[in-house]
Amino acid sequence: MDDRDRYYNQLLFRMEQLLHHELSDCASWKTELIGTDFIQTQDIQGNNEQEVIEACIAKLKAAGLAEDIAWKIGGKGILLTLRVAGCPHMLKERLLRESGIKPYSCLAANMILDQLIERLGYATTYLADLKIDEEKGECVIRAAIYATPDKIGEVSDWSKE
Amino acid sequence: MPDILDVIVSRKSIRRYKPDPVADELIDKVLEAARWAPTGENYQPWRFIVVRDQETRDRIADLARLGSGSRMTAWYCMGHMQERFAGIDDPVKREKVLRFMYSGEVSAFAKDAPVVIAVIGTLMEGSVDVPYDLSAAIENICLEAHSLGLGACWVHGPVASTRDAKKFKEILGIPTGLGQYKVIAYVSIGWPAEARKHPRPKKPLEELVYWERFGNKERPRHG
Repeated sequence: MDDRDRYYNQLLFRMEQLLHHELSDCASWKTELIGTDFIQTQDIQGNNEQEVIEACIAKLKAAGLAEDIAWKIGGKGILLTLRVAGCPHMLKERLLRESGIKPYSCLAANMILDQLIERLGYATTYLADLKIDEEKGECVIRAAIYATPDKIGEVSDWSKE
Repeated sequence: MPDILDVIVSRKSIRRYKPDPVADELIDKVLEAARWAPTGENYQPWRFIVVRDQETRDRIADLARLGSGSRMTAWYCMGHMQERFAGIDDPVKREKVLRFMYSGEVSAFAKDAPVVIAVIGTLMEGSVDVPYDLSAAIENICLEAHSLGLGACWVHGPVASTRDAKKFKEILGIPTGLGQYKVIAYVSIGWPAEARKHPRPKKPLEELVYWERFGNKERPRHG
């Protein structure tokens, strides 16, 4: 990581640290638009989940914002699991964790969720969980995606997914 | 001066309301209480939007259902909600409560409250302490409503996420720029259709208060 990337990650870390200090765990509810300005300029095309998600991943990889992103949908269609490898923001997550704050904002996930809303008209989404594996250099994100309001309440056991 | 503690202690968040209308005079008193809340630099950033229109309240309720339900469905799927409500022994009752929560219905009561007051704050240049000032105003609203025999509930969840806050602003015609107005919550108000049967357990002061320095629980003698 060069000095410029380190600098940008340190900026993001401080911003997220301060936001968490102000809002506690509600901070994660406020950061859903972070990163979306980029993906909204990328002319993502797609008529279904697979096409939109794959198009986002291709753009993210091409821009060097992830080395790879594996994904799957389960949990009655509302659980989107993303496995993001080689994210340039891993330093930000590590700094947060070292300061005692559980990482709570994934920019790659924000972008993909944003395009499900913008391109497919999804009712809403929610980034539910973010786990960092520094050894493997990857993050695992679990997000709830609701194509329509009536998908709210479609519960299942995500630990079995 | 009478002690306000009785009003404070007996207040409860009311989420079920009778359909009976609430007179303008009472709403005016509630708003007057809000106006007298403490505010940094006397900035008074608060603005209040009083909503009685059923269609608008329905839209707010739908937004609330979507916001709370989207989060609580995920929390249930991860097992968090079951842990939170493990104290309910009856499994049938527990599941009923959980379904009420993760369906989002728990937050959809704006449709039944005769009055909803949206509390927003100007973020224009010179603003300070806006969220804190607004919170103080909301507390005054809740206490004054209670003292008048009304029920009220401070509702933040439906405007908690950035996207939902924007939708809420659009419903009420509030400028949506993030540098203009902050929508912090709304308060639903009406005549209570539920009584306070079981005061929520509160932590004892001994657990909450330190003396002179953080962590010191031993009260010093004085005088």
